Amino acid sequence: MDIVGERVIDAPRDRVWDALNDPEVLKACIMGCEEIEQDSETELRATVVAKFGPVKAKFKADISLEDLNPPESYRLVGQGQGGIAGFAKGGAAITLEEVEGGTKLSYNADMAIGGKLAQVGSRLIGSTTNKMINAFFDALDEHFSAGS
Amino acid sequence: MSVNVSMTVNGKPVSAEVEDEMLLVNFLRDHLRLTGTHVGCDTSQCGACTIHVDGVAVKSCTMLAVQAEGSNVATIEGVSDGETLHPMQQAFKDNHGLQCGFCTPGMVMSALDIVKNNPSPTEQEVREALEGNLCRCTGYTNIVRSIIAGAKEMEAS
Amino acid sequence: MAAAEPLNTGIGESVTRVEDSRFLRGHGNYVDDIILPSQTYAVMVRSPYARATVNGIDTSAAMGSGGVLAVLTADDFSAFGGLPCGWQVHSKNGDPMTEPKHPILAEGAVRHVGDPVAVVIAESKAEARRAAALVDVNYTEMSPLIDMQGAVAGSAELVHSDTPSNVCFDWELGDEAATEAAIAGAAHVTRLELVNNRLVPNAMEPRAAIGDYNTANGEHTLYTTSQNPHVIRLLMGAFVLSLPEHKLRVIAPDVGGGFGSKIFHYAEEAIVTVASKLIGRPVKWTADRSESFISDAHGRDHLTTVELAMDANGKFLALRATTLANMGAYLSTFAPSVPTYLHGTLLAGTYTTPAIYTNVKGVFTNTVAVDAYRGAGRPEASYLLERVVDLAAIETGIDPVELRRRNFIQPDAFPYDTPVALTYDIGNYQATLDMALEKTDAAGFEGRKAASAARGKLRGRGIACYIEACGIAPSNIAGALGARAGLYEAATVRVNPTGSVAVLTGSHSHGQGHETTFAQVVSDTLGIPIENVDIVHGDTGKIPFGMGTYGSRSIAVGGAALANALDKIVLKGRQIAAHLMEASADDVVFKDGQFSIEGTDKSVGFGDVALTAYVPHNFPLETLEPGLEETAFYDPKNFTYPSGAYVCELEIDKETGVIDIVDFHASDDFGNIINPMIVEGQVHGGVAQGVGQALMEGAVYDDNGQLMTGSYMDYCMPRADDLPNVTVSNHVTACTHNPLGVKGCGEAGAIGSPPAVVNAVINALGDYGVKHIDMPVTAHKVWSIMNANGN
Repeated sequence: MDIVGERVIDAPRDRVWDALNDPEVLKACIMGCEEIEQDSETELRATVVAKFGPVKAKFKADISLEDLNPPESYRLVGQGQGGIAGFAKGGAAITLEEVEGGTKLSYNADMAIGGKLAQVGSRLIGSTTNKMINAFFDALDEHFSAGS
Repeated sequence: MSVNVSMTVNGKPVSAEVEDEMLLVNFLRDHLRLTGTHVGCDTSQCGACTIHVDGVAVKSCTMLAVQAEGSNVATIEGVSDGETLHPMQQAFKDNHGLQCGFCTPGMVMSALDIVKNNPSPTEQEVREALEGNLCRCTGYTNIVRSIIAGAKEMEAS
Repeated sequence: MAAAEPLNTGIGESVTRVEDSRFLRGHGNYVDDIILPSQTYAVMVRSPYARATVNGIDTSAAMGSGGVLAVLTADDFSAFGGLPCGWQVHSKNGDPMTEPKHPILAEGAVRHVGDPVAVVIAESKAEARRAAALVDVNYTEMSPLIDMQGAVAGSAELVHSDTPSNVCFDWELGDEAATEAAIAGAAHVTRLELVNNRLVPNAMEPRAAIGDYNTANGEHTLYTTSQNPHVIRLLMGAFVLSLPEHKLRVIAPDVGGGFGSKIFHYAEEAIVTVASKLIGRPVKWTADRSESFISDAHGRDHLTTVELAMDANGKFLALRATTLANMGAYLSTFAPSVPTYLHGTLLAGTYTTPAIYTNVKGVFTNTVAVDAYRGAGRPEASYLLERVVDLAAIETGIDPVELRRRNFIQPDAFPYDTPVALTYDIGNYQATLDMALEKTDAAGFEGRKAASAARGKLRGRGIACYIEACGIAPSNIAGALGARAGLYEAATVRVNPTGSVAVLTGSHSHGQGHETTFAQVVSDTLGIPIENVDIVHGDTGKIPFGMGTYGSRSIAVGGAALANALDKIVLKGRQIAAHLMEASADDVVFKDGQFSIEGTDKSVGFGDVALTAYVPHNFPLETLEPGLEETAFYDPKNFTYPSGAYVCELEIDKETGVIDIVDFHASDDFGNIINPMIVEGQVHGGVAQGVGQALMEGAVYDDNGQLMTGSYMDYCMPRADDLPNVTVSNHVTACTHNPLGVKGCGEAGAIGSPPAVVNAVINALGDYGVKHIDMPVTAHKVWSIMNANGN
């Protein structure tokens, strides 16, 4: 499944880049994120509680940042285990572009899911993912408008 | 977390301490031992768990026990008059409207709801109204016959 | 003496069902309804991957979770065997099939999504579920083998690393050379590639099992949703857990539908049995529906190429079918028999085709195991045959009814030896076809078609003539073909002192209504009311060793055993009556519940004879034992061969492609019929599943081996509004080799209906020149054809 979109964030590109690389900001902005730890410059571990229709699970995700080209682009690659709920894995190419009104963030992600998540939740993955992405950007907007 | 729930089931008041996440169907089956209400799926599509809550057909797998607090609940066990089958139950028997019996309680509870809203339904109306109930044995032909016959008998009596 | 009131509960009567009263009141007793004292709950941890190595399992967090009593993995089952396969097929080169181990819990590798890896046992199901989420399984995912052609071709990648290839067997039947020669020299050859879609049986009751170990006497009791409790006791006791039969009791109480999927021995049965002894308390496991989708054996899943050769007059000369049959990741209990002996042997159908050859490769893939599902092999045979015959009719311009008639085995040709190993004992295929045509007003079709067209609908009419082999099976034949069990049935008739009767049968009823039909056989034979008869089934602690219910065998094999046991009762009753009337047993006749001496007014009732048997105050003990209880084991001499003709008429909406079946008639020959009402119900249900296969159902895996149709949201089963009123008629040719003259009716509907429906769709789309559409024939497929370029 491919997920493609973009969003303009009311903040300079450097600050958006920094925020996207700050575990504390990510933790605050990712819906259901219980903890996030940075193991190295390019490796993160996160615990996220997510609900896809009838399937709710705590996902333990390993995320790595690849092809880093600050502050313009990078690639996120991740794999999350949700126990008996199944798993999700995928990658996202992210680019930041300076535009009028702030920074345009474009993403192009592909995702594969498995287990119960795929079995009963697959028809809801798209809408749930979009909801999570929108919530993330709303929270990011709030983060910047709060001036932190 | 445990919470106290009280409701009326088949005319009798019941009350129990249950986990707040307990589904109504599990409360009926495991706590009250009313095992006529069945669980056939986990996505609220089969209708085997259909009961009546305050006179309305409800899939009891879609409701928490606590949501039925204070309600009047009717299950398949309360449908017959002692040894005498309800006319709808009798119609299912007379028209061979059941085989393995697993979907049957939900079918009968749905049938009673259908007839309550439409006392003399046509075949097509019954087929459409059974949208929420799956049967794998009968091919529905005899279930539809049963409901139409049961409706007639209920109207007559 | 006044003539006895007729009972109206004998053979041939539409007696309403005895079992209905409890089901309609919600008083059925299904496995999940049972709560044993101090019962605990098991939840399975299943693989989310289709193919992966299991590097390790960390159960510590789960063990620490509230209410958890045990977390078990493969290590806890190392003392036990794998799940056995009950049928061994040999390849054409003589090699036995490849039989990889099917472990109870995954041993270092998982091979399909849903493969069980661990089990958590806790005080409550909620606690077990919470803890199951904490079992940390370390997997290394591998690329799965999902499609059969890929699995056969890509020999480098193996579902089971210890096997030479993904081909389980490469089986053949028939005369390859004669078939090839006939095809080469034929005036016309019709060729068709088709898919028999993978189905999920979906009995409405999910599988469940309770293990209950009794420390006092060392006896295990297993409550399970099974169609054949004695088979489970034998397989699990002897081959998996090494438990002696007398210490293992298997109870299959009310079972909410089976359709084949509850024949097989499943891992969860062994797991709860072992776990109960381990923790010293009963352990219950109940599948969630989403679990059933990925752990119950699926059905069908064939890829076939078929060729039918004809002479210039449309006379069939030869048939060749080449099939890939999906076995899934492991061999389920009877899986190898389904695409081979239950499929290849039926390829003559109702026709005189002289040369037939079939080659079937069973293929391992990273999918759920595939095994018998309603019809089991015979729907696949009927489908390919009736589709290719219909296509041949289109290609040759011969009317499809006429083409079938030209090739039917004639009513005077029985017993008839087919070129694929069966001997049909009796039948009349013309009679059921004539009946079906008459009941559906064949002559009026063109008028109805025009009326449909005026409403923007394309009307189509399809016919299928099926035959099946059921009443499984003569043990000697089954044994020669690879069955590792006998296939007889047993019945005990216990007459109580007051004249009521208990029948203990090895057959199992999970919707078929045996408590009524078997009681009718007793009522008919002994002349007692049906209320005085109790049919006991489903408990190895009570019933004689029988093989259970599948393959439409209950009345033909179990009913025959019952009839024979009743004969023994009557024989002994005559001896007792002779004693009471001071006559010779040879002079005593038994009719309508009365033993009497012909030509006299002397008679005694059945009840008096029963009482005398148990109160033998004046009994000829030197020549006659007290008591009135007899057992018969019945092993059939041949299969039974139900047959029939099905007609489907449907309309296709030209705008949307939506298909609406407007008429469906099933004309069957089931031999003698015990209860017409129940037989009609069986046909209705079979047709519903066949229509489901034809138009709606299909298990779909994605490339990663994830089951995309894994719930009732996505696996489309017929609902009331999807089906027509199915009508039925019967022509009777009595089976020649069992005492009741019966053939069996449980599967016919699912066998005859898919080709009738698809033939009707192709007929409706005649103007579009389409030759074939694979099942399920969805509105989308039809719409796409109607709207393809050029249409």
